[in-house]
Amino acid sequence: MNRGHRRPGAGRIALQIAGMIAIILALTFALARIVPVNATTAGFAYLVAILLGATWWGLVEATIGSVAAVLCFNYFFLPPVGTFTIADPQNWIALFALLATSIIASRLSTRVRKQAVEAQDRQQEMEQLYALSRSILLIDSAQSVPRQVVNQVAQTFEAAAVVLYDHRTTEVFRSGREEFPGTEDQLRQAASLGTQIREPVDRCWITAVRLGTQPVGSLGICGVDLSDSALQSLTNLVAIGLERARAQEAASRAEAARQSDELKSTLLDAIAHEFKTPLTTIKASTTALLSDKPPKPEQQREYIVLVDEEADRLSGLVSEAIQMARIEAGHVRLQLEETSVPELLESVFAKMRSVVDDRPVEIKTPQDLPPVVVDREMMEMTFRQLIDNAVKYSPPDTPISVTADEEDGHVVIRVQDRGRGIAAAEMPRIFEKFYRAKDPLSNASRNQIPGAGLGLAIARAVVAAHGGSIWAESKPGEGSTFCVALDEARPATARTEAVVNAARAEAKK
Amino acid sequence: MSIGRILIVDDDPQIRRVMKMTLTGEGYEVGEARSGEEAEAELRKSQYDLMLLDMNMPGQGGFETCKAIRAFSDISIIVLTVRNTERDKVSALDAGADDFITKPFSSPELLARIRAALRRAPAPPEGGPRQMKLEGVEIDFQARKVLVGGEQLHLTPKEFDLLRYLVMNPNRAIPHRELLQAVWGPDYGDQVEYLRVFIKQLRRKIEASPDKPVYLLTEPWVGYRFALPVSQER
Repeated sequence: MNRGHRRPGAGRIALQIAGMIAIILALTFALARIVPVNATTAGFAYLVAILLGATWWGLVEATIGSVAAVLCFNYFFLPPVGTFTIADPQNWIALFALLATSIIASRLSTRVRKQAVEAQDRQQEMEQLYALSRSILLIDSAQSVPRQVVNQVAQTFEAAAVVLYDHRTTEVFRSGREEFPGTEDQLRQAASLGTQIREPVDRCWITAVRLGTQPVGSLGICGVDLSDSALQSLTNLVAIGLERARAQEAASRAEAARQSDELKSTLLDAIAHEFKTPLTTIKASTTALLSDKPPKPEQQREYIVLVDEEADRLSGLVSEAIQMARIEAGHVRLQLEETSVPELLESVFAKMRSVVDDRPVEIKTPQDLPPVVVDREMMEMTFRQLIDNAVKYSPPDTPISVTADEEDGHVVIRVQDRGRGIAAAEMPRIFEKFYRAKDPLSNASRNQIPGAGLGLAIARAVVAAHGGSIWAESKPGEGSTFCVALDEARPATARTEAVVNAARAEAKK
Repeated sequence: MSIGRILIVDDDPQIRRVMKMTLTGEGYEVGEARSGEEAEAELRKSQYDLMLLDMNMPGQGGFETCKAIRAFSDISIIVLTVRNTERDKVSALDAGADDFITKPFSSPELLARIRAALRRAPAPPEGGPRQMKLEGVEIDFQARKVLVGGEQLHLTPKEFDLLRYLVMNPNRAIPHRELLQAVWGPDYGDQVEYLRVFIKQLRRKIEASPDKPVYLLTEPWVGYRFALPVSQER
């Protein structure tokens, strides 16, 4: 806010003096010619006019007005009227009484007015400081905090120019419609020495911003009248704003480090669990076979079968881990071939017998389902991930259903479980790497569910590499359905083209 | 002939298969559960002597299952876990497990742990006292019962054996190794954390203020001592 009324220019003062004299002359004309009154009434009327002038404009105007009023009073009302001479000595007293009263009263009223204006200014300063403190509290720490602070200061105080020198980064931030006249050296000096520089002509300040004895930076501000205490409060607010941002930054860095540690240990736990499960069966079997009291011959064979199965499982895990790493690194080489979906699913379930256990599984595929062109190994891995998820996230005795349908030139395969489902808020994140969905009903972490949080990320990457799409549908409490849509293979001629296109796409990689 | 009934709780069917084969080959009768919830239901339905409980399961994990089962059963519990840190061991014991075994394990080791868990510390040859009355605590060695303030307490078999060994050897600092071998068996001796957890649980059950024990005292660097009040001295 511009406080022009406090320091009016010379022209404005001349205008106000002229106004004051004009009022006195008009009053004289009215009292002497229009409604003739006696000398006492005229004296009081002048007094009132001068008091009003003092209240509106100030002491200079009122004093000049007083002199004019005394002259007019003498000329028009004190006998002999029409001259500046005074016959009766009593009238001298009346004349000086008018002059003295009007000057003293003017002084008093000007002082009151000045105090009122000052109080108003203080109040305004307080309001501005309050507004600034609020906006500093609400600063978005995701963006540059010092930049926001200077903008807020310039905006709140309607300053012509604001600069903020950040001592830690030695950066300078500017805001406002005018160029700040001070140099960066002055700012640096103010910050390190804690000095204050004032330029009363331009109404410019440079002041140190400190927190306790710690230099935080310095603030330059132009075109604003601020009391010393307001300026002090302003720099304190700026210091607090900058420090708060720094503290938040440090805290979020610490939090990020903690989360990454947590992630690493969860991931290691999950990997340890995945690999140690088949190893447990293998170790238990081999040690049973090697023990001093070997098992009966028919049991021996059973142990060896277990070892064989679990060795395969382990080998599958290793190749999945390698595929995962390849997808991660962006080296996916698709070996595309025309594949029948029912056959693909059958082969998936054949490899997952030990995981699916004695779960009821429904597979529904129509007879005339068109084939798809996919990398068999990759696509099998994708469905293994989806079925593995369905098994993990639903109770052991609930069924898992897999269906495939033709829809608008696509084959859509759905893997459905009857588990607790996924909360709507989690939907966008479940395909993210390492993300583990929370229980939708209790909101509890499901970290004890084995897995690394990679399955769905792999599935998405593989499906995307095939140009297909993958999504999930869920009703919390009723289960989840994961859907994969793949282009159906085109008839022979078109199919050749597709294979050529796919080969070309592959060659580009 | 069955030498004990064991419930296997693990979500992995292959692990259940291999453990079942090993245990039935040894002569145990075996039941299976695929989750913590199933295990709880099975234990409420029929009698078992011991449970092999996997820590890492979908749904209610092993930790919660262990606590839930301890609320109604004194069954011996051996926890199976892939983690091997001190903290994991202590939290498993704290949840009420009697012992734990780290995956992958060898079959003879599993069998040894099961034997140790099912083993009851033998009563002293001369029989010892049949009962003991302390201030507010009554121990019936024959019926394997403890009454605190007239109310019967649930002590797991291992807790009871530990208490009995301490009470039978009053006012003597018993070394950790001796206690572990007396209660868990000759293969044990270095598992000081077992004693720490079990003594803590016993103090919680029989001491008026577990933080300032008057009976079950720690002998720093040595072991534990049962302080028999003077009036009770034989």
